[in-house]
Amino acid sequence: MARIDRDLLTGLLLASLFFWGAARSELLERRKLTAIREEELLYYPSGYAVRGAAMGYETAAADLAWLRGIQYYGEHRLTDQKYDLIGHVMDIVTELDPSFVQPYVFGAFVMAQEMKETERGLDLLERGMRANPTNWRLAFEVGFLHYVCRHDYVSASRYFTWASRMPDHEPYVERFAAFASQRAGNTGMAILLWKQVLATGNEYMQEVAKRELQRLGVR
Amino acid sequence: MSQERDDSRGRPSWNAEFLRQGPMQEVAPLPILELSAVRKVYRDPMTLKPFTAVEGVSLSLRRGEIFGLLGPNGAGKTTTIKMILGLAKPTSGMIRIWGREPRDRAARTRLGYLPENPSFYDHLTAREYLSLVGSLFDLGAAISRRRADELLARLGLKDEGRKPLRKFSKGMIQRLGICQALLNQPDLLILDEPMSGLDPIGRADVKQILREERRRGATVLMSSHVLAETESLCDRVAILHRGRVLEMGEVKGLLGTGVMEWEVTVEGLPDSVAERLRTEGHAVDTIAGRRVIRVREGGELQRLLRAFGQDNVFIHSVEPRRPSLEEHFVRTIESAS
Amino acid sequence: MLVLGLFGFALLIGSQALAPLALGEGQKVVIDFGLAGSMMLATLLAVFLGSSLLHKELERRTIYSILAKPIWREEFLLGKFLGLWFTTAALLLAMAGILALVVTVGYGETPWAIFGAVGLSAVELGIVTAVVVLFSSFTTPALTAFFGISAVVVGHFAEDLRYFASHGAPVVVRWITESVYWALPHLSVFNARGLAVHGTAVEPERMLFATTYGGLYIIGLMVLAAAVFRRREFR
Repeated sequence: MARIDRDLLTGLLLASLFFWGAARSELLERRKLTAIREEELLYYPSGYAVRGAAMGYETAAADLAWLRGIQYYGEHRLTDQKYDLIGHVMDIVTELDPSFVQPYVFGAFVMAQEMKETERGLDLLERGMRANPTNWRLAFEVGFLHYVCRHDYVSASRYFTWASRMPDHEPYVERFAAFASQRAGNTGMAILLWKQVLATGNEYMQEVAKRELQRLGVR
Repeated sequence: MSQERDDSRGRPSWNAEFLRQGPMQEVAPLPILELSAVRKVYRDPMTLKPFTAVEGVSLSLRRGEIFGLLGPNGAGKTTTIKMILGLAKPTSGMIRIWGREPRDRAARTRLGYLPENPSFYDHLTAREYLSLVGSLFDLGAAISRRRADELLARLGLKDEGRKPLRKFSKGMIQRLGICQALLNQPDLLILDEPMSGLDPIGRADVKQILREERRRGATVLMSSHVLAETESLCDRVAILHRGRVLEMGEVKGLLGTGVMEWEVTVEGLPDSVAERLRTEGHAVDTIAGRRVIRVREGGELQRLLRAFGQDNVFIHSVEPRRPSLEEHFVRTIESAS
Repeated sequence: MLVLGLFGFALLIGSQALAPLALGEGQKVVIDFGLAGSMMLATLLAVFLGSSLLHKELERRTIYSILAKPIWREEFLLGKFLGLWFTTAALLLAMAGILALVVTVGYGETPWAIFGAVGLSAVELGIVTAVVVLFSSFTTPALTAFFGISAVVVGHFAEDLRYFASHGAPVVVRWITESVYWALPHLSVFNARGLAVHGTAVEPERMLFATTYGGLYIIGLMVLAAAVFRRREFR
């Protein structure tokens, strides 16, 4: 037992040294320009190599990339509101874990809504739909983007209907499918959609929703 | 061979049958342990240079004897023992234990082994280790426990049964080693340096135990360099040197029954005489003010005594000394080198 | 025991710290990291405990008095293997239990699917243990650890190796790679962590196939290890 304690003590000592070193370098890092820090994101390999590197821990690696991506978004929201690399990061996440739905949704949302790159957002979501053919959420989000960003109500309606036919969908999907096809007033519909995001989206999406609702004259 | 006649009813008598089969073969009992021209050559893994550890060793153990395998360090005793136990394989030659191969499981159920400088799982207690050994012999828990208790008591470890082995001293480990070697009441005991690490009392205990085992009918093969004790314990010995058997036989036979030399202790011997005796080839030592002269030959002894008598040298004692096994051993080794 | 405590603690702290950062995906992150962490820990334990398995016995010479007893060399080796496998697998299972507990307490639902994945991981662990036992029967602890880790890496790469080799490589290389490919353990078969985290249970056919494949592979490795160990001499 004494031998194990000694090893443990050494291990703890080394661990604390490591963490101290890591904390110091982290502090040093923060003083550098944000741009330099992000070069690391560019070095994330893409495609087949990513899965190989994860070596059996793909979903955990996807989570790590996801967390990094959120961090990236959060930082840029506070600074320059430019999210150039978000597509790349979300590509990595979904390459590692194709059934991880949230990255498709969030990535597309940011690209379409914040960067005004709707086409790229739709591409991402469509990839997600191919990997998860029975997922209602992805179809719904495609419809959402068509409605709000491209004002393409026909396509929106088509995707909402598709989503309503998928298993385990939320009840509001059918309502939107119905309204979109009735074209019950652009603004009214848009307000409802944004209110839905406010109710169900993550905190970043909620903030965007609040902003949009304000713009549309609500509250 | 004359044929017995058939009996009165015309059927062959049992004698005829018996004679027809010919004389019965005499059934010889299997030797307990037999080594025949055993050779072990090791190859250095780096240089591939061969090193002969054991060369042409042959011996055969008789039931109920204590056999000593003697030799200086590196003579090949441990290597030979390892080959007997199946821990190493002879390069050539044959080893049989009760007529079976060393790796044969059945042979090893009747065997007890104590390695040199033994080491046992030190996170276990003495009792736990013996219970493990018992299970390896399929002894059954109750028997195993009973024998373990008896052996621990016999080896003076009665109160140490629950102590973890890492807290054992070298002597205690050695004694536990003997316990585990005796647990299965073996018919053949193979002990590599059984006395090492023991104090004189411990050694006397072990000698006693080995004698008891011999009385029980067990056969013992032991290697040792503590020759003084081996002498009184072993029936036969083999002296190994650089892998070869220099001598093998009964201790008495090897040492010769004759008296080797006499030790004459005198007082008042002038230095000049002592010097002269030395140049003549006698060993002369001074011990506690007295001179001790070693004389090798009967005739020489008589001459010296008469000379001392004439010169009024006070003769304190005359002691015949038989060569000890140690002395014989050293001389044998030296003459072989 | 200590390891389990540390794992549970790390998991709790980690989940508290990371969950809010994950934008609602906290449960997924905790399960992912929990499964990944526990498997990595169990694998590393198997490799590092196993690498000195036989070496320690040889160095301390505890093995001499044991092998002189009526025991087959194979029995001894098998005993070492089973002991190591059960220890690491039990640890893995315990960590999975802690994970399930943390998730249940934190998110209200019990992720039963992880136990299927853990079952397959236990078989994978068996293969890694067998590789380690094989190498420890004839080389040093350092090399054994190296080969153990390599086996894990290569095992996950098996598919990719074949893919890379089949493209534009000369026929000989391709042939060699094909044979090496078949000989390697295809550890991706045992990876159901992705399924588990999305709540999907492992299909029975896959479970059966994987267990059989794993079992056969382990037996193969142990037979090889026994053959090597039988010839082993002790100086």
